[in-house]
Amino acid sequence: MSETFEFTKEELAEIDKIKAKYPDKKSPVMPVLWLAQNKFGHVEPEVQQLVAKTLDIPAAHVYGVVSFYTQYYGTRKGKFVFDVCTTLTCQLCGGYDILHHLEDKLGIKAGETTEDGMFSIQSVECLGACGYAPMMQITNGVYCNHLTKEKVDRIVDDLKAGKMPEFEQIPFPQHQNESSK
Amino acid sequence: MPEIFIDNVRYEFEGKPLVLQFMLDHGLDHPFFCYHPSLSIPANCRQCYVEAGTPVFNRETNSYELDESGERVIRFFPKLMTACSLEATDGMVIKTHRTSALVERAQKDTMEFILVNHPLDCPICDQAGECPLQIQTYKYGPEGSRFEHKKVHKPKRIKLGPRVILDAERCINCTRCVRFTEEISKTHQLTIISRGDKNYPAVAPGTEFDDPYSLNTVDICPVGALTSSDFRFKARVWEMNQTPGIDITNGKGCNIDVWTRDNVVMRITPRYNPAVNDHWMPDFGREDIRRMNENRISKPEVLLDGDRIKSSWNNAELNFTENLAGLESNEILVIGSAFSSVEDNYAVKKLFSTLGFNHQVFVPNIKEGSGDGFLIDDDQYPNTNGCRLLGFEELTSEKLTLLLSKGNFKMIVSLEDDLVGRGVLNEDLLKEPYFVYMGSNHNKTSALADLIVPIANSVEQSCSYVNSSGRIQRTTAAKETLYTNRRLNLEMSVGRLDRYGTKFDNWVTDRNRIDCIPAWDFIERVATNLDKQTGYESASEIMDEIASVLPAFNGLSYDRIDDELGVQIIGDVSKVTSA
Amino acid sequence: MSVDWKNFEPVLLPKIPVLHKIDVYEKNGGYDQLKKVLKDWTPEKVTNEVKAANIRGRGGAGFNAGLKWSFMPKPDGGPRYIAANGDESEPGTFKDRQIFEYNPHLFIEGAIIAGFAMSITAVYVYIRGEYKDWIDMMQKAVDDAYAKGYLGKNILGSGFDIDMYVHSGAGAYICGEESSLMESLEGKRGYPRVKPPFPAQKGLWGRPTTINNIETLANVPLVIKNGAEWYTGIGAKNHPGPVLYGISGHVNRPGVYEYPTGMSINDLIYDVCGGVRGGKKVKAVIPGGSSTPPLRGDQLEGVCMDADSLRTAGSMMGTAGMIIMDEDTDMVDVLWRISHFYHHESCGQCTPCRDGTGFLEKTLIKIRDGHGEMRDLDLLLDLCTQMEGRTICALADAAAWPVRYTVTRFREDFEKRVKNTVYALA
Ligand SMILES: Cc1cc2nc3c(=O)[nH]c(=O)nc-3n(C[C@H](O)[C@H](O)[C@H](O)COP(=O)(O)O)c2cc1C
Ligand code: SF4
Ligand code: SF4
Ligand code: FES
Ligand code: FES
Repeated sequence: MSETFEFTKEELAEIDKIKAKYPDKKSPVMPVLWLAQNKFGHVEPEVQQLVAKTLDIPAAHVYGVVSFYTQYYGTRKGKFVFDVCTTLTCQLCGGYDILHHLEDKLGIKAGETTEDGMFSIQSVECLGACGYAPMMQITNGVYCNHLTKEKVDRIVDDLKAGKMPEFEQIPFPQHQNESSK
Repeated sequence: MPEIFIDNVRYEFEGKPLVLQFMLDHGLDHPFFCYHPSLSIPANCRQCYVEAGTPVFNRETNSYELDESGERVIRFFPKLMTACSLEATDGMVIKTHRTSALVERAQKDTMEFILVNHPLDCPICDQAGECPLQIQTYKYGPEGSRFEHKKVHKPKRIKLGPRVILDAERCINCTRCVRFTEEISKTHQLTIISRGDKNYPAVAPGTEFDDPYSLNTVDICPVGALTSSDFRFKARVWEMNQTPGIDITNGKGCNIDVWTRDNVVMRITPRYNPAVNDHWMPDFGREDIRRMNENRISKPEVLLDGDRIKSSWNNAELNFTENLAGLESNEILVIGSAFSSVEDNYAVKKLFSTLGFNHQVFVPNIKEGSGDGFLIDDDQYPNTNGCRLLGFEELTSEKLTLLLSKGNFKMIVSLEDDLVGRGVLNEDLLKEPYFVYMGSNHNKTSALADLIVPIANSVEQSCSYVNSSGRIQRTTAAKETLYTNRRLNLEMSVGRLDRYGTKFDNWVTDRNRIDCIPAWDFIERVATNLDKQTGYESASEIMDEIASVLPAFNGLSYDRIDDELGVQIIGDVSKVTSA
Repeated sequence: MSVDWKNFEPVLLPKIPVLHKIDVYEKNGGYDQLKKVLKDWTPEKVTNEVKAANIRGRGGAGFNAGLKWSFMPKPDGGPRYIAANGDESEPGTFKDRQIFEYNPHLFIEGAIIAGFAMSITAVYVYIRGEYKDWIDMMQKAVDDAYAKGYLGKNILGSGFDIDMYVHSGAGAYICGEESSLMESLEGKRGYPRVKPPFPAQKGLWGRPTTINNIETLANVPLVIKNGAEWYTGIGAKNHPGPVLYGISGHVNRPGVYEYPTGMSINDLIYDVCGGVRGGKKVKAVIPGGSSTPPLRGDQLEGVCMDADSLRTAGSMMGTAGMIIMDEDTDMVDVLWRISHFYHHESCGQCTPCRDGTGFLEKTLIKIRDGHGEMRDLDLLLDLCTQMEGRTICALADAAAWPVRYTVTRFREDFEKRVKNTVYALA
């Protein structure tokens, strides 16, 4: 049984809107890949072909783009992808401990997906949240900051129960009362 | 005129040349990988470093500033510059590895980095011997490597397409192949995938690299990453002879190099000619090696009581002359060929004209719309314009059929053209008359001949063709026939094995020499039998004669064709018709 | 020595609740500067004022923004672009996202004013793809600005047209490099371009383009409002203005802080961030993102966060993303991780970077794992020399500098880890 990949009329209308933002036909490839990935959960070769066809650009070009950017899933990942930051500040603040804790908890290594297809773990580069290290991002979406092993456990349990963590607004320190200084 | 100083030598230049190209044009060796004169300039290999500076100009005094010893003050760029992307400016000073220790070191440094992830096994690599990376490593590389870690491993032997195979580990990421499909063939079939040292070229999943020009990427790949599935591991470069030729698989007449070993054509590669094909050629032109090597007519053949038997040259001449005897002028049809050379066509035409047989025709092989406007021409044959200029009457298939069925021809002489195979003639039309076929390969038409004369093909003789845009170009013998000898024929290219190999070097044999001669040579023998000999001893003499008798060819000679890489002899091809 | 920071009130991220809402922004004087400029100012006047203010690019290179604008050729009727750089991927940097979250309209207003100054037709805001939530915030702000007529055709009846589009990256540090960013916007692999031609001549889609960091552009309305003189009066003389310090690592109160440039590093660590965790000593400080050379903790006295002071101290301002490391930090581990980052992020286009970053990382792994030898330290420095200044973009330099300066400034950590093999001369 092979899946077929197509865009709906609404999505094509959305793509037309995207196209209007750029002066040539190659440029919209990144936003359209995003749209496709949000819809299908990945941009495997069939989806790449679809994007190429929709935009009337070479399929090889789309492949080159997909493989250049780390956030595009050229192969299927788990339903939830833990992108654990292990770069400098996170490394200093225990990012690897978080990574290894997750690996032990889920029984997989970074780069792998659990057998039930629920979770993937990736060790990723700085996500621009260094002040709130250690941290991770879930499936190119929400940032989970100030991680502890307990917090990670809670997140995993919530996800299993179908609950995505919420956006954490981190107060700007100078906006808080002077007393906190 | 603006001037530039390279390693303390002054050169003059015009326009805005790039320093690397300028150096190469002036015979100054300089290492580089990614630059290609016909492609865009990514300056990514970082191998072509130079130090560059410009003189300091004083606006107030309107002159160059001078130091205390009276020399111009030169302001050098703070960083090393890549010569491939650097435009020459007036007064520029360039220091290469010859005069700058810094440049010498930088070139070694880049080389060390390139080799970090490149396999160090040249002896088993197909590119060895003609590999810019290998050559430049010898010339400019570091003494050794300090890299003691695992190399990045990548897939090997990837079939990119029907004709091209990739060894990703050998790729140095110069992007020439990708740029070729983007800028020259415009199929956009290749891309670099991934990032950093995991980069390598690929096609989109589920597609293949079937670009009709795909093999050009093999030529321009500066390492052994891209190889031709047909040629790879068949021969080492140093075993082959390389001889200039012309691609006769279509009307474009791409300039080629013919690579032979032991008189077998091993491969064909494009030869640079900016007026015709630049550095490129279509893939199918390279497959012409099959026609050159296989299914060859060797030794004359005659029909004897319905059986086709090999015959001697003497017998063939005799046969030909005897059948000619006593025929009326309208009983012979001479069919020239847009597939054959100017010289062969001319010799045939001249003899029969002298004898008063003036039915001389040819049928072009042009498939409208099959070309691509680039190097693939509508015209399937290399010499249509040559036939026109020589004065063969240009007929369609219908007209020739009509002529043959209405006429009362007793003898037909045809130069190589598979008229039956390509559907011009019904074979019945050739059965009745005495049919002489002069050609190099067996085909449906030769199968009908009463006499088959084996003719040296475009890589076994010197001969010329007038391409579809009216340019005359010529080939040189690359492959010996039974009657030519590489060591004696000064025109033929002599390879290492010719020079040093002996009969006992088992790869030099006589096996692959075909028993054939040029058509003009056979015609000359027939003419001699008829006392009409002209005394030609070589194709170039024929060209000299053509140049003196046919206005379109005035002033031509092989020397001139060689010097000018071919000569444009027709101003407007649309105006050319058969005389 | 240090500037007066204690009485400084944030202006980029002022203490106004829900300022990201356009009504609130307007109520607090938002878009007034745009109105003023469109009504009374010429483009030249704007450029000159910004040039005089000497807003030094907050994206890393510290180039005077107004001066950069003045490189744009005269308008020829064709499209001209600003690419606003919100790629923010240099490790240690997390400041532009505060603008997206807390004060997006300040940036938008700044970008429109900059657009007016350079006769720009469209602004592309390039935001790293991981900032999904902030991209949405930014898109909302742009939509609101369109709805209010600050963007689009004939803005506020002035006859000036400008569009603004938000473009999401997809995970590639290199796309923060300005020419790679343009390639990415054009839908390609993020391969930096060879310069010349420079973006002002041939930028996005071959048209004149100026690239500015988000924070840089957010400073513009402040300059228009208060004048260049006011601006140059803030912080360090040659590197003035308010700046967003992103401070992370082993401090008690990490985060982004807005203070004048030229603050002493020690003030930032001890007074602003409440000192080092557990009361430990500072071993090392990376002042402006992972590519800027680390400074030793025992040599921080008097070092301030501005270009001049940091140059004297042997480092750079970069993005003002400071990373503080305490006395227990193992510099070999740290350097390996930095090298891993650059190895992972090299676009792979040019040889010294593609293969040099891997060579560096592999050598550091060897040392980290205890197999290193003394000669490997010299090799590391040699490799840096082979990479610095030899590539298309500055990523190779960014990869080499931390290696060069960590190995030389913290050599004892490295010597402790390598074997003291003695080689006989062969
Ligand atoms: C490898 C590399 C990465 C960069 N990343 C960023 C970045 O994430 N954000 C940024 O604003 N500038 C970045 N830059 C600097 C930009 O190239 C450019 O100088 C800057 O965006 C110009 O804006 P500014 O003058 O306002 O600082 C990077 C430069 C390099 C060489
Ligand atoms: S395969 Fe060859 S031509 Fe293509 S990028 Fe690699 S080295 Fe260059
Ligand atoms: S220096 Fe590195 S990142 Fe920059 S262009 Fe070269 S390979 Fe790419
Ligand atoms: S180092 Fe982890 S978010 Fe920056
Ligand atoms: S030839 Fe590759 S950089 Fe010049």
